[in-house]
Amino acid sequence: MNRIIILTPLIILLIICFFSLTYLLSGKDPNKPPSALLNKNVPSFESTSLYDTKEIIITTDIKNRKTLINFFASWCSPCKIEHPLFFEIGKKYPELYLLGFNHKDQTSDAKKYLEDDGNPYDFVGVDADGLIALEFGVFGLPETYLINEEGKIIFKFMGPITKDILKNEIEPLL
Amino acid sequence: MSSLVGFLSLVFAIGINFYLFLSRYIFKFQKQKFNLFIRSASLLTLLSFFSLMYAYVVSDFSNYNVFQNSHSNKPLIYKISGTWGNHEGSMLLWLSILSIFSFFFSFTKNIDESFQRLTLIIQSLLHILFGLFIVFTSNPFLVNSILVNEGLGLNPILQDPGLAVHPPILYGGYVGYSIVFSIAIAGLFQNTDDEWLYVAKKWSLISWTFLTGGIALGSYWAYYELGWGGWWFWDPVENISLMPWIAGLALVHSLMMVRGEQAIKKWIVFLSILCFSLSVFGTFLVRSGILTSVHSFAADASRGIFILLIFFIVTGFGFLVFLLKEPKKSNALNLLFINKVSALVINNILMIIATLTILLGTIYPIIIEVLYNKRISVGGPYFNSTVIPIMIPGFLLMSIAPILSWQTNKINNSKKYVLAFIILSVLVLIQSYFLDFNAWGFVGLLLGFWIILASIIAILSSYKIKINIKFFKIINPHVAHIGVGIAIVGITCSSVFQNELDFNLSEGDKFNVNGKTVLFEKIETTNQINFQSLRGKFLFDIEKNQSKEIEAGKNYYPVSKMITSEAGILHQWNKDIYFILGDQKNNEWFVKVLINPFVSFIWLGVIIMIYSGLIAVTRR
Repeated sequence: MNRIIILTPLIILLIICFFSLTYLLSGKDPNKPPSALLNKNVPSFESTSLYDTKEIIITTDIKNRKTLINFFASWCSPCKIEHPLFFEIGKKYPELYLLGFNHKDQTSDAKKYLEDDGNPYDFVGVDADGLIALEFGVFGLPETYLINEEGKIIFKFMGPITKDILKNEIEPLL
Repeated sequence: MSSLVGFLSLVFAIGINFYLFLSRYIFKFQKQKFNLFIRSASLLTLLSFFSLMYAYVVSDFSNYNVFQNSHSNKPLIYKISGTWGNHEGSMLLWLSILSIFSFFFSFTKNIDESFQRLTLIIQSLLHILFGLFIVFTSNPFLVNSILVNEGLGLNPILQDPGLAVHPPILYGGYVGYSIVFSIAIAGLFQNTDDEWLYVAKKWSLISWTFLTGGIALGSYWAYYELGWGGWWFWDPVENISLMPWIAGLALVHSLMMVRGEQAIKKWIVFLSILCFSLSVFGTFLVRSGILTSVHSFAADASRGIFILLIFFIVTGFGFLVFLLKEPKKSNALNLLFINKVSALVINNILMIIATLTILLGTIYPIIIEVLYNKRISVGGPYFNSTVIPIMIPGFLLMSIAPILSWQTNKINNSKKYVLAFIILSVLVLIQSYFLDFNAWGFVGLLLGFWIILASIIAILSSYKIKINIKFFKIINPHVAHIGVGIAIVGITCSSVFQNELDFNLSEGDKFNVNGKTVLFEKIETTNQINFQSLRGKFLFDIEKNQSKEIEAGKNYYPVSKMITSEAGILHQWNKDIYFILGDQKNNEWFVKVLINPFVSFIWLGVIIMIYSGLIAVTRR
């Protein structure tokens, strides 16, 4: 009995080390929590256009075509970094629908941002109160989702996308 | 140049420690020579650290680490603190503090020479492990491959005077436990007399005092910098500093109470190993980047694996030695229903359960993510509803523990205590009846005041009051407990009776806080040396002539493009009025005002605990 008590710390140590090592080796990045939405249907949304409040987009509008959804804002500096890449994607894959959601932003600021840096999106939806981002489980800006023809989320990325991620992770899915 | 000096002295220090380790088996040294080597290894490590600091101070951007984490516009204090404001530098600080402890330990007198030597050799082994970790995975002396004349800047959230000194003090606690660990292991190997217990007591008190100061600085920083109005968030990084703190508290108490009982001695060895293991485990969790928080600078799996290996070796070695070399003689404990020994045992059991509960909550998310690939977070609700109830019996006990007898169940003046407890309960009950009744508030206030009152009764009735140093040393345990009591009152009031008010205001508006009129004077933006500041100026209590000005706002750091919030706090002895400036909408600013009663008591309690930690170090 006494032995078992003295062995307990070693057993606990082994358990802790086992799980920590598995965690480290699994290549998980704590900055990128696994998304509960991956391989699930895209959440339903409804949003008005940044440029014309009468123009709206709803979930069914992106049915039957591959869609890349990007959450961005004028106040988000990493968004500025990834911004030019969307022009590249748009040029290379003209059939891909690029949907931008302007997250918790002032309309005038957002318009100016897209004027200065250019507008790569086919449609810019307004998400002024952040409710759409909430539905998507957005963790922090920028965040990018790829939706397939069946309306399932097949890829999600937190943070600014880079050329490498575009080449190695997004393009194979297109 | 300074990078080269730093790197070479680090490598030399590791080399000397390796040589010292070999010396145990191959070449035997004289005492003087041994001490000379251990001290020069310590000084070389410090030289390495200071050359990194020098590179920061002169903004030597040819050093990659300086380039990544500094900027020539920063004020001097943040250039200095930038040395440890990053992963590599903070590991070098870790190693330097280890060296400082070895250095001072080598001067300890009146202990067995071979015991001292063995302790220092174990320290050398730790130095080698962590030194190699720095050289191979976290070298702060890498040369920048491109020529640059400006750096990338220090994380702005770390640019704060409180936080500049927080890491060295906290590390003083974490790393201080290394010497306690080495003493305990050396004690197991040599199994000599009990002299090592006194040495261990001194060093564990020093470490614990540093740890207390470090944790308090960190939470004070969180209080006014994060702008959430709280000071403890059960954040994983806070938890991993709390675990060695509680285990260290158990260790300090056991060391003060030990009277040659073998069972307690065994327990002390166990706690010593546990404290340092928890410190290394904390270092692992933070440095591997498994936990994301303000503390994790970068996630890097190879570093994580290396430091996990160190954790495994150190802890595994410690507990294995403990398993194989446990003290054999048995000497029964004098356990009675309520005497000093039984109070100590109960207290230790509670503290270990609390530590394990926190450990479980901290690593649970990791286990769940490995097993189910789900991200969960364990936060306040879990810890509040588990750790606090576990601690309550301990708090009750600590009020009278110092006056309990060793041999009998009798408590002197027990009637006084019973009477005082009843009167106090009635008073607190009346007080909570007139304010909003809250069960936690009632329990917390009763406990806090009871600890203070019982300690004061104990001082008055058990000792003759004299104003001299000896007297303060004798009543020190009671003073420490009064500190805890004051802190509990502060913690209870500031968390249970916190009041929150929200306003939407334009410049020039007047509003009412706690019966006082406050004027939202104006919004001011200014350019500071390394940031732009936005401040809302408030005049508190404008009806009086001496109205107080409060500034709350945000800072924008252009180099790293980050915004930090700066809460405006009006400190009064019985409450803090805490202003947070929110966003602007349609020319109106969102202003949140929190009234935190008796926050100052928390810091006062902590200061008393630190004071009595220092007094206890001087007492044999």
